[in-house]
Amino acid sequence: MTIPVVSEYFFGSVIIVIVLIMFACLLRAIRGPEIADRIVAVNMLGTLTIMVICILSLWQNESYLLDVALIYAMISFLAVVVLTRVYLGVHREHLMNKKNRELYVDFADGESADAAASDAVSGALSAEEFSAEAPTGKGGDI
Amino acid sequence: MEWVRLIIGSICIVCGLLIALIAAFGLFKFKFALNRMHAAAMTDTLGILMVLLGLIVMRGFCFDSLKLALIILFFWFASPVSSHLLAGMEVEISDRLKDNCEVEETERKGGRQ
Repeated sequence: MTIPVVSEYFFGSVIIVIVLIMFACLLRAIRGPEIADRIVAVNMLGTLTIMVICILSLWQNESYLLDVALIYAMISFLAVVVLTRVYLGVHREHLMNKKNRELYVDFADGESADAAASDAVSGALSAEEFSAEAPTGKGGDI
Repeated sequence: MEWVRLIIGSICIVCGLLIALIAAFGLFKFKFALNRMHAAAMTDTLGILMVLLGLIVMRGFCFDSLKLALIILFFWFASPVSSHLLAGMEVEISDRLKDNCEVEETERKGGRQ
């Protein structure tokens, strides 16, 4: 057993274990009930990918893969920032739309309630007038 | 000497893998997103530190090890920021926040969060 053979077996087994962990993270990213769970899982997936790229660069003696890993780290950080910003914006817009709709519904309800109340009041008044007129008529007859 | 470097580096890498395994376990054990974030942030700092430290030890002192150290440094700066953004988003969006953790009501000071 020389050093290249041992390190080859070691790197291969390490990459296999990391890929298994990545599958677990992918499962959490698919199943996660909320959006924050998914973003956490995707962030961890990016970290594990960077580990794999670094190990691969030492395994194959390709030092340019380390530059790829550095750029990948920056892009995965940017992805988290952009995703949180976008979902916060979407959530705030949704909330504002809901609030505006509720305000409008309240306003419309208030208007119709006022109209109904004034109708009821005028109806009562007219009934009173009618009932006030009717006894006098009856009394006049008697 | 080569053997010693290989053994020390592989021990570091296996420690990093164990930490990543614990983080993946915590991702499934906890029920709430903030707890899951606590578990997953372990990979971003300690896990990648151990793995890349093992690679630095295996590689020896050269330009590649400088790049690996730069990746560790970048992660240590970027991971708290992304965790902060994620936690802010979770606190603002989540409906069942008060079921899962104690929330102290404070006046919002008109910041960007």
